[in-house]
Amino acid sequence: MQQRLRFLLAAIPFAALSVAVPFVNRVEPRVLGLPFLLVWIAFWVIITPACIWTLGRIEKHW
Amino acid sequence: MNAALALGIVAVIVIGTVSFALLSLRRFTMSPQEYIVGGRGFGAVFLWVLLAGEIYTSFTFLGAAGWTYTFGAPAFYIMAYGTCGYIFYYFLFPWIWRLGKEHNLLTLPDLIQVRYNSRLLSTIVSIIAVVALIPYITLQLSALNTFLTVAGHGLIDPVIGACVAFVVIIAFVFVTGLRGTAWASIIKDALVIGALIFVGVAIPIQFFGSPATLFDQVLRAHPDHLVLGGLTAPKGTLWYVSTVLLTGLGFFSGPQSIAAIFSAKDENVLRRNAMLLPIYQLIMLLVFFAGFSALLIVPGLKGTAADQSFLAVVSRYYPTWVLGFVTGTGALCALVPSTALLLSSASVVAKNIAGDLFNIGTDERGRLRVTRLMVVVLGLGALVLWLFYRTQLVDLLLLTYNGISQFMPAYLFGAYWKRTTTIGVAAGIVTGITLALILAASSIAPFGLNPGFVGLAANIIVLVGVSLLSQPARGTLPEPAGN
Repeated sequence: MQQRLRFLLAAIPFAALSVAVPFVNRVEPRVLGLPFLLVWIAFWVIITPACIWTLGRIEKHW
Repeated sequence: MNAALALGIVAVIVIGTVSFALLSLRRFTMSPQEYIVGGRGFGAVFLWVLLAGEIYTSFTFLGAAGWTYTFGAPAFYIMAYGTCGYIFYYFLFPWIWRLGKEHNLLTLPDLIQVRYNSRLLSTIVSIIAVVALIPYITLQLSALNTFLTVAGHGLIDPVIGACVAFVVIIAFVFVTGLRGTAWASIIKDALVIGALIFVGVAIPIQFFGSPATLFDQVLRAHPDHLVLGGLTAPKGTLWYVSTVLLTGLGFFSGPQSIAAIFSAKDENVLRRNAMLLPIYQLIMLLVFFAGFSALLIVPGLKGTAADQSFLAVVSRYYPTWVLGFVTGTGALCALVPSTALLLSSASVVAKNIAGDLFNIGTDERGRLRVTRLMVVVLGLGALVLWLFYRTQLVDLLLLTYNGISQFMPAYLFGAYWKRTTTIGVAAGIVTGITLALILAASSIAPFGLNPGFVGLAANIIVLVGVSLLSQPARGTLPEPAGN
């Protein structure tokens, strides 16, 4: 269970920023005026530190 | 008069940073450990500053703004790949650091040597690494020249300016080592954030009112600029995915990156950096804003002029002191990463070629002396390359961009797969680099894929195949990375 959670915490943001991008390659819907593709990438860049922090908690590094 | 003011500000920024970093010398007695890997004593924040200082070069910013200007959305990969990389490095860094600590390693080829126990393989890696890094240092000189040209308006010969600044940098590395680079990065990172807030926030607001109106106008003028092209188109979606995977997995493979990993105080410093570095990636948003703004304000630029488009906006519409501040920051972005590149390539030559192969300078004092000598030799080499062979630089850089990331499977499989063999790694690296260079040099992109990615895929297939057919590495085999 915990093994699977650790895998997902790493794999989801990684996939969102790489292989998922062809599926979100669009301008609409725009968020705060920014094109959707840019918002998607920026969103996952912001979320990634939280994922890695959680990963570190589960592995008891902090 | 104006040019003198701008150049004066650039000079104050460069000299001020060098003087500040010289303060780092107090309290530390110099040894190869201290000089090359900062005595393995860097904490999380200090290492974060160093890494931000050496990863984000003048070409990260000029290139990202230029790509935004010329291509639009394909530039977004620059924000994504580092973040992908850090997720992966969270797992890999501690293993590399542990080997470094246990075996007292200094350089990238040391790491290869201790894992694969082959002098031939570590020598090949040393040579590729140094040959790939020197043109990259030379490239920073071109950027420095650009900033001095924009600031100086022909007041002094920018070539002479770049030479003087670079000789100062060689002397600086000679004296301070990695700790000096980290201290200089403190100022560099602070100024970069200031300059980017200016070009990425102030310019869009002043000219367009808000980023939203900026994007409205980009959409009207260039409807295709905000999305990637089709699946297999040049710079299409397959190109994006392959480039993010290649650069994300591979961008931490160079000697300067391995030295930075060794400089950490403990493993958690590295895990914390994998967590914190994506935050720095966010400043790329501001670079994109600057590039899109420049596209609308000064349209029609091509090639290197497009890379400098936001500088053109600053020099045309803003007071001289702003231009001096922005170009001075740009000059630091060329100089600070050069110090790390120079130091790490010099340490590879001194330790792995002069020391391990020819038994020159193998005691502490000798190694320090040979490394410093190599800093001067390689630094002057990069300068000569730039002065006389600038036009051939583009070809040499293909090796820098496509070659270094081909080392990554050696670390990745070395860490996680016991069956990895020396001959498998060597065959993989040679295949990967050869294939990537041939594709890149002849501009062939199968299915729109990045040539370096094709090379990396071939590298991994050959590594696994040959490893299964050969005997595992001889000698002491360190434990693969567990958790």
